[in-house]
Amino acid sequence: MRQYFSQVAAIVWKDLVTELKTRELFSTMFVFSVLVILIFIFSINLSIVKATEVGPGVLWVAFLFAGTLGLNRSFMLEKENGCLQGLILTPADRTTIYFGKFISNLVFLLLMEAFILPLFMVFFNVDLLAHLGSLLVVILLGTFGFCALGTLLSSLSSNLKTREVMLPILLYPLMVPVVIGSVRMTGQVLEGVPLSTMMNWVGLTLCFDVIFIGVSIMTIDHILEE
Amino acid sequence: MTETTHSADTEGAIEAEGIHKTFGVQAALRGISFSLRKGEFLTIFGPNGAGKTTLLKILAGLAKPTRGTARVAGFDVLEGDPGMKRQIGVIAHASCLYSDLSAVENLIFYAKMYGLGRPEERAVRAIENVGLKARMHDRVRTYSRGMQQRVSIARAVLHDPPILFLDEPFTGLDPQGSNNLKETLRALHTDKRTVLMTTHDIACGLELSDKVAVQSKGRFVLYEDACNLEKHRFEDLYFEILADRLPAEKTAPGGPGR
Repeated sequence: MRQYFSQVAAIVWKDLVTELKTRELFSTMFVFSVLVILIFIFSINLSIVKATEVGPGVLWVAFLFAGTLGLNRSFMLEKENGCLQGLILTPADRTTIYFGKFISNLVFLLLMEAFILPLFMVFFNVDLLAHLGSLLVVILLGTFGFCALGTLLSSLSSNLKTREVMLPILLYPLMVPVVIGSVRMTGQVLEGVPLSTMMNWVGLTLCFDVIFIGVSIMTIDHILEE
Repeated sequence: MTETTHSADTEGAIEAEGIHKTFGVQAALRGISFSLRKGEFLTIFGPNGAGKTTLLKILAGLAKPTRGTARVAGFDVLEGDPGMKRQIGVIAHASCLYSDLSAVENLIFYAKMYGLGRPEERAVRAIENVGLKARMHDRVRTYSRGMQQRVSIARAVLHDPPILFLDEPFTGLDPQGSNNLKETLRALHTDKRTVLMTTHDIACGLELSDKVAVQSKGRFVLYEDACNLEKHRFEDLYFEILADRLPAEKTAPGGPGR
């Protein structure tokens, strides 16, 4: 078991070192999500519409679209020079590849979100600090589900010529329950509603997170097979 | 279709029995059988599309045969046992190296994936062995094809496997790089490793090998001890096979005429 975790950690370490050297993934995701927020800011009249009503949708659109860019890149890195083949040739269980990539994607996306939240707070004039704890739980739940399913589907679509198109086509419909839950919870948290009163949404999102991880564990072996 | 069969006497490091592989209606392998004893070096020649890479992929556990069985280091390749993966090293067409990591970072990563102790030490030693210590901290994308191939060899033997699969390792190398690789392979073979290599380089293949096979259209049409073959005679035979006009009497024992 110790070796299993050290193999997962090795994949995360490899992805972090690569990103530290290239800074491709983070910069792409960050710039893209800033642009999304800016476009919405200029198209929404915040003197008419309440920021806490439109803000959560904008925030999650920025997270998901930027995250999709990151996911597309994630398995492409493994396809270059046949690295995925090199990984499959090691005695490591194939779920280590999934969990390594999943944790890397989660770390990159959470990091990007940490940079986006202050900008969102400034642009939408919303006080996030008052509800920071609840907001972080909601963001973690939504991002977890997105990365769990996204990592699986990016491994699947990485074999396709039309991978950039196929990933969102496969991912977004399946993400609907988690996205709805995350947007609703974010809206209520920004309104000052305590998280304890929306346990049905928390439960729903958590449930899908677990399902996505379970399905990934069951199918990754077949997906990575040639 | 008659199956090619080549039996060896004892201690099979690699044993293949009636391997077929089809992709849709296209047959890539049509019943390949052979066995290789520990420490033997087999080179498989053959035109592009003969199914050499497919055969190597099946033996390395990267693909499953449509029909037939194969055992590598005593493990059934169909079972995908991690124990088998510890016994084999593979040098494929692609380098399997991360371009933005240095050579040493690549090898540390693979050492961790193989669960080897002291990955840093192992990685540095492996790089020293292929003569790249001076540039081990440079990104792999800055290396020449020959240098990448040397790192790829270091990666393949990092866990000291007794069996090596080499898929056209001489491709893209200049004469100097080719000579260096030949010396490295000779050294690896001297360490009593079993080697199965595919190549188009007749001179290198004949020089390094104990056994030689020619694969065409998914079958072995020749399987001989390398010492029984003269280079010129083999070249003539090989080019006839490439031109698809091999006379029946020239096929080796176990060939299609059998």
